[in-house]
Amino acid sequence: MSTSQAIVAGWMESPTSAVNDEARRRAEDHALAAMVDQYAGALYRVAYSVLRNQADAEDAVQEAFVRVLRHRDSLGEVRDHRVWLIRIVWNIVLDRKRRAKTRPETDDVAELARVLPATGLSAEERAAAAQHHAHVLGCVEQLPVKEREVLLLSAFEELSSVEIATVLGITESSVRSRLFRARNLMAELLDHERTSRERSLQ
Amino acid sequence: MSSNPRDQKTSAEETLRLVASLPAPEGLEHRIHNALDRAPRRGSVLSWPRSLRPESSWMRSAAAAAIVFVVAGGGWGVYLRVAQNQPGKVIVMPARIPGSGGFGSAGAVRIPETLPGPKAPQAVKPQPKAAKKAAHSPAGAGQPAAKDAVAH
Repeated sequence: MSTSQAIVAGWMESPTSAVNDEARRRAEDHALAAMVDQYAGALYRVAYSVLRNQADAEDAVQEAFVRVLRHRDSLGEVRDHRVWLIRIVWNIVLDRKRRAKTRPETDDVAELARVLPATGLSAEERAAAAQHHAHVLGCVEQLPVKEREVLLLSAFEELSSVEIATVLGITESSVRSRLFRARNLMAELLDHERTSRERSLQ
Repeated sequence: MSSNPRDQKTSAEETLRLVASLPAPEGLEHRIHNALDRAPRRGSVLSWPRSLRPESSWMRSAAAAAIVFVVAGGGWGVYLRVAQNQPGKVIVMPARIPGSGGFGSAGAVRIPETLPGPKAPQAVKPQPKAAKKAAHSPAGAGQPAAKDAVAH
C-alpha cells in the first residue's frame, strides 16, 4: 500500500462522530498533499505525451488534482490511486486535445528540441533528433484513435497492460490486439514516409 | 533512419518512451499545492451550518427515522385504503345480453314433422261357394284355352 493510500485508509476508518472537523480537514489535506508529491510527475508525463506542451500538461495535472479535491469524499472507495489519477488526467487531456486546434509539426520540433536531454549531442545532432522524433510523433497522430491511445500509454514503463486496460475501460486482450495493430500501422506509415521522402530528394 | 520495419517500430517506440520519460518541470508539485490552496474546498456554493452538516451523526439518524416514518406511513395508508374499499367476496357474473351476435329467427316457428300413423293389413274376403261351383262346371268351354294360356 502506498503512503497516500495508507493515509487515506486511516482517515476513512476513523469513526465520523469522534473526529473533530479540524482534524479531519487536516487529514484530508495531508492525504492529498501526499498524493501530489507521489504522482504529480507521472501524471505530468502522461499529460505531456498527449498534449506535447509543457504549460498545457501542467494545467491538466492541476485540473486533475482540483477535481480530486472536490470529490475527495470518494477517495476511500478507490483501490489504486495511481491508476485512478492517470485515468482522470487522461480524460482531461483527451478533452483538451479535442477542443484545441491541431498544432503544426514545426511546433512539436521546437518544443522537443527544447525539452529533450542534450547530453553528448551537438546542436545539429540535437536538431536532427528533434526533427526525427517530431516526425515519428506526426505518424502517431495519423493512427486511429483507439490504436493511438494504447500505443501512447504503452510507452509508460510503469503501466502494465492490465492498468492500461483499466485506464481505457477495455479488456486486457483488447489492449494487446490494439497494440499489435498500432505497431504494424506505425511501421507502414514510417516506411511510406521514408519512400516518399527519398522520391522527393531524387 | 533504417529501412527495416522492425527497426522502424523500435525507433518509434524509442521516441514514445523518450517523451514518456521526460522529467516533470521543476517546482510542479509546489505549483499544484498552491493551486489546491486557492481552489474552493467544496463543490457547493452554500455550506451547511455547523450543527446541520450532513455528516453529523444525529442528523443522519433523524434522516433515517424520517425515511422509515414516510415509508411505513405510506404503506399503512395504502393498506387502509385497500381494506376499506374492498367489497365482499361475491363474484358478480356479467349480465348476459340476449341476441347479441348470431342470427335472428325472423319470427319463424318450428313445427315438428308428424309421423305417419300405423296401418293395419286388410283381411282377405272369403269367396262365396256358388262362385266356386260355377268355375268347375262343364259349361265352362274356355277351360282348355285357359290352361294353354297358363302353359305359355
